[in-house]
Amino acid sequence: MVRERYLIQLDLLKESVHSLGELAELILNDSMDAVINLDVELAAKTLALEPRADELEEGIEVSIFDLLALQQPLASDLRLVVSGLKISADLRRIVGLSINIAKIPGKIEGGHVKPLIDTRKMADITADMLTNSLKAFETRDPELARATAARDEEVDRLFYSVWVELLEMMAKDSSIISKATHLLFLIRYLERIADHCCNICESVVYLTTAERVKLN
Amino acid sequence: MTEAVQNVAQPQIEVESLNLWYGEKQALKNISMQIPKNSVTALIGPSGCGKSTFIRCLNRMNDLIKNCRIEGKVLVDGRDIYGKGVDVVDLRKQVGMVFQKPNPFPMSIYDNIAYGPRIHGASKKDIDGTVEHALRSAALWNETSDRLRSPALSLSGGQQQRLCIARTMAVKPEIILFDEPCSALDPISTSRIEELIMDLKKDYTIVIVTHNMQQAARISDYTGFFLMGELIEFGQTRHIFENPLEKSTEDYITGRFG
Repeated sequence: MVRERYLIQLDLLKESVHSLGELAELILNDSMDAVINLDVELAAKTLALEPRADELEEGIEVSIFDLLALQQPLASDLRLVVSGLKISADLRRIVGLSINIAKIPGKIEGGHVKPLIDTRKMADITADMLTNSLKAFETRDPELARATAARDEEVDRLFYSVWVELLEMMAKDSSIISKATHLLFLIRYLERIADHCCNICESVVYLTTAERVKLN
Repeated sequence: MTEAVQNVAQPQIEVESLNLWYGEKQALKNISMQIPKNSVTALIGPSGCGKSTFIRCLNRMNDLIKNCRIEGKVLVDGRDIYGKGVDVVDLRKQVGMVFQKPNPFPMSIYDNIAYGPRIHGASKKDIDGTVEHALRSAALWNETSDRLRSPALSLSGGQQQRLCIARTMAVKPEIILFDEPCSALDPISTSRIEELIMDLKKDYTIVIVTHNMQQAARISDYTGFFLMGELIEFGQTRHIFENPLEKSTEDYITGRFG
């Protein structure tokens, strides 16, 4: 096989994106567990993972600039490199938003203002979207990418209903405003994470079909 | 084949079912292609794929090769160049060619360019104008205007190649064929020739054979990929390099041919 080193570099790039994706999944899931159970210890452990995400993202960027400058990838290789760069930026934002979520338990004392049932549902769908968008990237499956992005509507619906519920609760009882505002931020972060998953799905469609689509 | 170039609005060159044999060996297999006017078309493919053979069919350079047999049609401006009554000298005036190695004649810069117009009977006064215009078009005037009588072989390799381009333009062709024009040049000379080719498409239709894929990507509007005598894929350059339709095109441009 010719250009063996080059092909190894492309494989390494895929693996690094995969590792950043796994880390993002872990941080999202743990930060949600931490916020639902107000588990400050788990939150602290989760916060400590952020530098690892920075390292991985930086490594991906460096390898992509090297590939572009030294190997001039073309066709599907070029699309892999371009989508790798975009996906890693989306994953890094997902990590950032999940880290914001992990900071919430430290700010809420004495329990939530309401049971977080729909919020948990929202988080589960978002986590599924993240898992499946990464799977679509790995298996180069544009159909899975489209189906995954379509779930953003469910997330948006839940976001809106929890949002309205919290506003109504705050209107009735101003003493909960501080705690409820943290929950408003929480659902906003989840909604944004789902949007980044849609971006990843768009990159997967571009990678596999060279079509630029808007799935969000 | 990519839709976009199947029916070109204004093809200057139309190749229909072209087959070529060198003796028993078939070097081109059923090639059909429409080359649009005022565009740069790049032909890529591994050594021996037939791209140089193909480009040489466009001004009948293969006529000079023994045992070479050609079937099919090549139309330039709608006229079959392999038809009866075609004057090959006139054809090569209309379809000029620049070769891999710069090959100036062993005479002065001026005489190199004047050679063609003189053969075609131009007057001395016309020739002066033609020489200046050709050298300006080939971006060589500033470097040579004060030494037109110097030997062409005293120029650098890149300058010699631009001189050959100027010489080709001096007989006012409509089409210029380039057969790996930069393969003997350094990167700076290469980029000057590339800039020149992109400028020239305003006035000429250009077909270029190149081994340098980045060069094809940089300068061409259309790209054809040849493999073992067949035209595998022909399309807009950005499509070929971003999302080729054929697996063998993809394998070639991404360097996966073992």
